[in-house]
Amino acid sequence: MITFIIRRLIATVFLLIVVSAITFAIFFLIPRLAGQNSYQLATEYVGRNPSRAAVLQVEAKLGLDHPLWVQYGNFIKGIVVGAHYNSGTSTTYCPPPCFGYSFKSQQPVWPQMVSDLPVTLSLAIGAAVIWLVAGVAIGVISALKRGTLFDRFSMGIALAGVSLPIFFTGLIALELFSYKWPLFPNVQYVSFLTNPFLWARNLVLPWVCLAFLYAALYARLTRAGMLETMNEDYIRTARAKGLPERTVIFKHGLRAALTPIVTIFGMDLGLLLGGAIITEYTFSLHGLGLFTILAIDNQDLPEILGVTMLAAFFIVIANLVVDVLYAVVDPRVRH
Amino acid sequence: MRRRRAIVLPALAAAAALALAACGGSSGGSGGGSSSSAAGYNAAVTKVVSPSTHKGGTIAFGNSSTPDSTDPGNTYYAYMWNFVRYYTMPLMTYKSCPGSCGLQVVPDLATGPGVVSDNGLTWTYHIQPDVKFEDGTTVTSQDVKYAVERTFDRGLFPLGPAYFTFLLKAQKPAYPGPYKDRSKNLMGLNAIQTPNPTTIVFHLAQPFADFNYVVAIPQTSPVPPSKDTGANYQLHPISVGPYKFQSYQLNKQLTLVPNPEWKASTDPNAKQLASKITMTMNMNANDIDNRLLAGDLNVDAAGTGVQAAARAKILSTPSLKASSDDPIAGFTWFAALNTTLKPLNNVHCRIAIEYAASKTGYVDAYGGPVAGGAIATSVLPPNVVGHKSFDLYGAASDPGGNVAAAKQQLKLCGQPNGFSTVITYRSDRPKEVAAAQSMQASLARVGIKTTLHGFPTGTYDGNFAGVPKYEAQHDIGISFYGWAPDWPDGWGYMYYIVDGKAISPAGNTNLSQLNDPKVNDLLNKMASTNNDATRNSYASQIDMQVMKDAAIMPGVWAKSLLYRSPNLTNVYVESYYGMYNYAVLGTK
Repeated sequence: MITFIIRRLIATVFLLIVVSAITFAIFFLIPRLAGQNSYQLATEYVGRNPSRAAVLQVEAKLGLDHPLWVQYGNFIKGIVVGAHYNSGTSTTYCPPPCFGYSFKSQQPVWPQMVSDLPVTLSLAIGAAVIWLVAGVAIGVISALKRGTLFDRFSMGIALAGVSLPIFFTGLIALELFSYKWPLFPNVQYVSFLTNPFLWARNLVLPWVCLAFLYAALYARLTRAGMLETMNEDYIRTARAKGLPERTVIFKHGLRAALTPIVTIFGMDLGLLLGGAIITEYTFSLHGLGLFTILAIDNQDLPEILGVTMLAAFFIVIANLVVDVLYAVVDPRVRH
Repeated sequence: MRRRRAIVLPALAAAAALALAACGGSSGGSGGGSSSSAAGYNAAVTKVVSPSTHKGGTIAFGNSSTPDSTDPGNTYYAYMWNFVRYYTMPLMTYKSCPGSCGLQVVPDLATGPGVVSDNGLTWTYHIQPDVKFEDGTTVTSQDVKYAVERTFDRGLFPLGPAYFTFLLKAQKPAYPGPYKDRSKNLMGLNAIQTPNPTTIVFHLAQPFADFNYVVAIPQTSPVPPSKDTGANYQLHPISVGPYKFQSYQLNKQLTLVPNPEWKASTDPNAKQLASKITMTMNMNANDIDNRLLAGDLNVDAAGTGVQAAARAKILSTPSLKASSDDPIAGFTWFAALNTTLKPLNNVHCRIAIEYAASKTGYVDAYGGPVAGGAIATSVLPPNVVGHKSFDLYGAASDPGGNVAAAKQQLKLCGQPNGFSTVITYRSDRPKEVAAAQSMQASLARVGIKTTLHGFPTGTYDGNFAGVPKYEAQHDIGISFYGWAPDWPDGWGYMYYIVDGKAISPAGNTNLSQLNDPKVNDLLNKMASTNNDATRNSYASQIDMQVMKDAAIMPGVWAKSLLYRSPNLTNVYVESYYGMYNYAVLGTK
């Protein structure tokens, strides 16, 4: 198992290099191929009516005048060994992983992402717990009570959950519970360490809206998986052996049905950790999602590169964890 | 100045928000404060609403984006020039008063306007002797000189205006800023002299009568060299204004608290009423509106007006409408007509477009007369000093367009059946897209066939519409654009969009590529005439000549529907900014 994990981690490093190269090429190489030169690129980061001298200064300051392979090399070097930056009055060292300095704010990218991370972590993990518990529970009950009113009602709700986007459910939730009846007023992120109660209160609406979307999918998946599993021969055998129904359902039925759930859960959580863009935007939460929007809005290439690599890292790690969990959930994998 | 507008994800939220607005309708709450304080629709455009000297409370700003910079030397956003008055004092500023009074440039850190000598080449200012930084040290003229010197390092401070780099007398080699030139105790810029701690002398390359406006830009607010941290100065600028930085999480949250070293007697254009000022950045624009209406926020920092959903709610609810204002924002949205491209290099072809285009369609594209603005009959907006109303092509009298007159002009142009050209616009601005589509339809009525090409805002000036070579290669005859002045007079508005000297190979803002000697000459005269009345009389002459040249087809004099939080005191629209004057606000 340890060899497997180490092998996967090494592969992760190579994958991140590929992701960084592709992202870099999209933002630096393709515009060049389309005829844009570094001077024109630099004009995007200068104020109104720039003189040629001003654009050239910016071009040099941002390192855009170097060959592309040098720019990419400097970017990777910064991640591995750090980088130095001249802020005018002093030269500061940006320790690894240094994702460079924002073209817009001229501040290091990594600390900004790190400061946004707790928001996204709180949002994603909190919502994930809700949707996993609720989704799986509803799915199991629906499967066991197939065709009943509960089954039909919960699957109807699930269909609605999958169909309604966050920017709709989020606005409805805000309108009702924040603006009109302020049970959760003035939603803003408060650190768990500062005030756990406010942390939770401010995240309830985003959690519920996000979980509503995902729980629906998980309920339907769990239900389908459980229906299939509960008709297997080994379930009949388990019942024939006289095992209690609870053991049959949870130890033999649910365990097998959970395999696809674990797969998709890893992917979903990994994606969300890279930034729950629409949820953060809707609720004005300053996580990696809003960071991404701002980076794109400002065409801030170091920030875009940084957040893309971080998101890729989360997805790869989540997949790794999923692969490890497979072995736990499904004994067949171990053999 | 740049007026920052939210362009992220609006389309995703718009439909849902509008639906909610329709549902919420007239029952929309105003729980944030008493509606009895509502002084009426547009009350704050011409008078102070809720005047008060009450101290205490928090003024909460919401911002749908982020400042370009909080460093006074590196910001160009209009709302930031308004906001930085909380912690800066440039040599001059705009008088804090409602109505046209707010267009006057008056002394701030200086004791009086600049004294001109040497045939307009030297401007001398005396600064107040008893203004202190937040750390208690006294401001000197060298601190002002250093603040200007910093702006010469365009690599470090690329975002603010660059007027000083070309208005001041050049030196050889070119002055690179105080970070690269450490000579003369960081006072290496020869064009500025500081003969004593309260006097600062600017030596210009050529006479420039608008220099008092130039020193009203936040870049002349003093920076103590010993406290300068270069690119990191934005994280904590040393205050000389009524408030100082308490904390700043970059692009997230800014908190200001009263500066104990500030004295009202030295800064009559600002007040220190609230005990705290916060700005939450990068918020959902619709969320900002709803929090304003709910009383959780007090001011939308961008000052460009509420979104469509809140607009519907405000205009349909009398109590909310009574707490709103719809001032002229100072922006003209227009279409630049390429004066160098055949057949538009013939003025009659351009006049044909002036006649044919539907101005109603333009205004509707921007949201109608309340949210969008008024039909622009000329380029210069009404809140610019020297503006005179005229309507050369019947924009107001024939807002749907005059097809017969357009066809007549096409005959004179030698294109009786029309011609083909390309229209460019900023594809991430839905209003501009709609305006371009409206123009395409209205020009088709007279046989002018157009192809629409949209480009992202970020690359519009630098790579496409602002590159004359690209325009010529791609047959771009019409480019949609908008402009607000760096200062509210004719030169401040017109120079960069119509002077031949402003044409540049990339990042060009004279999209018409107009190089009319008459216009250039009038702008030159304006720049060298010190008499205010004479100088301002040139503004309307320039406006008239540009319209005669038909170099620009003006569309909309922008307006913004602002919501006036009932919790605020001393609220009025500062005409220069076209938004509430932030520096004087208080809370109840």
